[in-house]
Amino acid sequence: MPVISLQNLKKSYALGDNTVHALRGVSLDIEEGEFVAITGPSGSGKSTMMHILGCLDRPTEGHYLLGGEDVSNLSRDALADIRNRQIGFVFQGFNLLPRTTAVENVEVPLLYSRPLLPAAERRQRALEALDSLGLSQRADHHPSQLSGGQQQRVAIARALVNKPSLILADEPTGNLDTKTSIEVMRLLQNLRESLGITIVLITHEPEIAAYGTRIIAVRDGEIVSDVANTPTPMEHVEEDQEQSEPALAAANA
Amino acid sequence: MGFSRHYFSVALRALLRNRAQAALAVLGVCIGVGALVTSLALGRGAQEAIADQLLAAGANMIVVTAGNYQAGRSHDYTAPADHASLLHQSGHYYVANLRRQGPALSSALFNPADNFLFRPVHFENDPMAVHDHPTAKERLGDTMAGLGAAATLTIEDARAIRDSIPGVHLVVSGVHENARLTVENAPKQRWLTRMHGTEEQLPEVRPGWSLPYGRFFNRNEVDDSAQVLVLGRVAAERLFGAGVDPVGETVLLWNQPFEVVGVVDSRSWASTPAVGDDQFDAFYVPVTTVHQLLNLSMLNTITVTTRAIEGTSQVADQIQTLLRDRHGITESMPDDFTVKSQAEQVLGKGLSPDIARIVSGNLARVDDLTVAQLSGSLQRTNRTMLALLAGVAAVSLLVGGIGVMNLLLLSVTQRTREIGLRMALGARPNAIATQFLIESLLLSLCGGVLGALLGLISASSLEGVLQWSTVVSPLSTVLAIGVAALLGIAAGVYPATKASRLDPIGALHHE
Repeated sequence: MPVISLQNLKKSYALGDNTVHALRGVSLDIEEGEFVAITGPSGSGKSTMMHILGCLDRPTEGHYLLGGEDVSNLSRDALADIRNRQIGFVFQGFNLLPRTTAVENVEVPLLYSRPLLPAAERRQRALEALDSLGLSQRADHHPSQLSGGQQQRVAIARALVNKPSLILADEPTGNLDTKTSIEVMRLLQNLRESLGITIVLITHEPEIAAYGTRIIAVRDGEIVSDVANTPTPMEHVEEDQEQSEPALAAANA
Repeated sequence: MGFSRHYFSVALRALLRNRAQAALAVLGVCIGVGALVTSLALGRGAQEAIADQLLAAGANMIVVTAGNYQAGRSHDYTAPADHASLLHQSGHYYVANLRRQGPALSSALFNPADNFLFRPVHFENDPMAVHDHPTAKERLGDTMAGLGAAATLTIEDARAIRDSIPGVHLVVSGVHENARLTVENAPKQRWLTRMHGTEEQLPEVRPGWSLPYGRFFNRNEVDDSAQVLVLGRVAAERLFGAGVDPVGETVLLWNQPFEVVGVVDSRSWASTPAVGDDQFDAFYVPVTTVHQLLNLSMLNTITVTTRAIEGTSQVADQIQTLLRDRHGITESMPDDFTVKSQAEQVLGKGLSPDIARIVSGNLARVDDLTVAQLSGSLQRTNRTMLALLAGVAAVSLLVGGIGVMNLLLLSVTQRTREIGLRMALGARPNAIATQFLIESLLLSLCGGVLGALLGLISASSLEGVLQWSTVVSPLSTVLAIGVAALLGIAAGVYPATKASRLDPIGALHHE
């Protein structure tokens, strides 16, 4: 059973007197463990697709089955619960709460979970999520005290904390330099491989899309191509060497 | 609950973000709640003061006044000629009741003192008597010496009331006249004021009195007709200046020297001594001294207190019966005195004359009234003042609420992205609304607690500076904070609803 199944999905908006057709009948199945990159120029409808996939918006027509459940016409509360339980969001602008520590940011989805976990357990799970991303030393730092890559890793920890079946990453590297972008993409690849988590990535950069196992191109509200891809291999990153330098220096001394 | 702790810490963080605006919003609520606490304190204070006044000075007091003026009595009413004034060979004057059944008048005439047909009258009070002696004016050389009012009460009447009516506590005789006091050796320091000839127990009848200087005169001085005098505060200030202790000074009344032994003042906020005040623009001398100097025996008033408030009208009835009997008044004749319970007078003071007439007209029996009802009647006058204060409090609370709402709307706008993010992360609309309601509640509760403190301070300073009676009850403080909380929720509903209805996508992309 596919994790995501879109069946002739249409979305149109009334914009003044005109009707804008953002999606003109999209059908798509995404299996568990896939790393799908959705690409397309701005205005292609990829953002609308992302919003519907993220249960932030509802389709005008057609059906969206998430984990086999039709979520096309659920109430706002029900959609909120699905976002909370099943979907982890990673945004372009990180969207961390300012003046709030990393661990508190990661805890936010747990605050809206039903049933509510005890405070100590929420903290524990948030710390574990941070730890799995190598950020346990930064748990008490505010976003302003973290680098862009660290901030995005906190955001990924937040996306993972509720153990979702799906991660939706909307231009996750848009605000990052190339080196950090590669780090983040490798991190997502890692998550897919180690946790078997399904990832849907929205990007307009072909190099970023190349990290996916499947690349879907969207144009004018329709899928124009859907091809399997051999992901960009995991290279060694210079940072690892930098990090080992002090150890080498210590060994040489 | 951990969840609400999170809400509070988020709310606190949000408020700290807009420190100045939050402080102003809190100030608004604070002023509103402060005004509310103050007005409650003043209202409660007035209520208790009225109850105190009624209990202390009012409800158990009966004043018997000589004469009987009744509004609306027909002007062409003529009393039947049923009394005769007689001069006995012994030199005593008697008034005979001609309508009374009894032994023949002629036989009674020879032994009038033993006969109920006659009652002795003081020769100066007998309109029929021919004076062949110098009047008080002539003797004392003061044109003001003399009693003008129809004085039909006697010290014997007072004693009879004290001795024969059960339930009577204190009986104080009174002679009242206008008189001029002059400071000895300082003829320019003079003051025309109210003279009260009275007895040593008067201060017990008037618990609203304080004695800033000296003492009241005592029983011995009354018995000895001593020339001692207690000044009311206003009279003392007019004669000697404010803040001067006049005890030991000598003043002249009817050209006779009197030693000032004390000054009486009001301890009540309700009656601040003023010129023209019957109690404090006045002075007090032993009634016996007045009688001796003016060569009189009549009283203008007899003030009676009862042991229990409940017995007041019963005692008043008995006094009326006793005095009618003693004065030989036949059934067809009206009283030559007026028995009035103080409750009616107190009631009359607090209300406009028309309303007082209606109220006291409905008070057939003072017994039927509890003190609470009396104070309830009096409160009507305070209600206007309290309505005004409550209005001020309501308007300030409204303004405070608008301030809170304004800050929250600002907060919603500033945090639109955060709202979108929280929604994306799974917050239900209600959770968002709750967040803002808690922010609003926190703000208004801060204002409420500070406002309660402000109210306590302003109430106590009103009491300290303006001598207004205030009572801050714990209940009213809790109530005011509760009102602040309700206000916070009311002010928060619109911004919270607005926040919860935001579209998550639009909110997420809000700049």
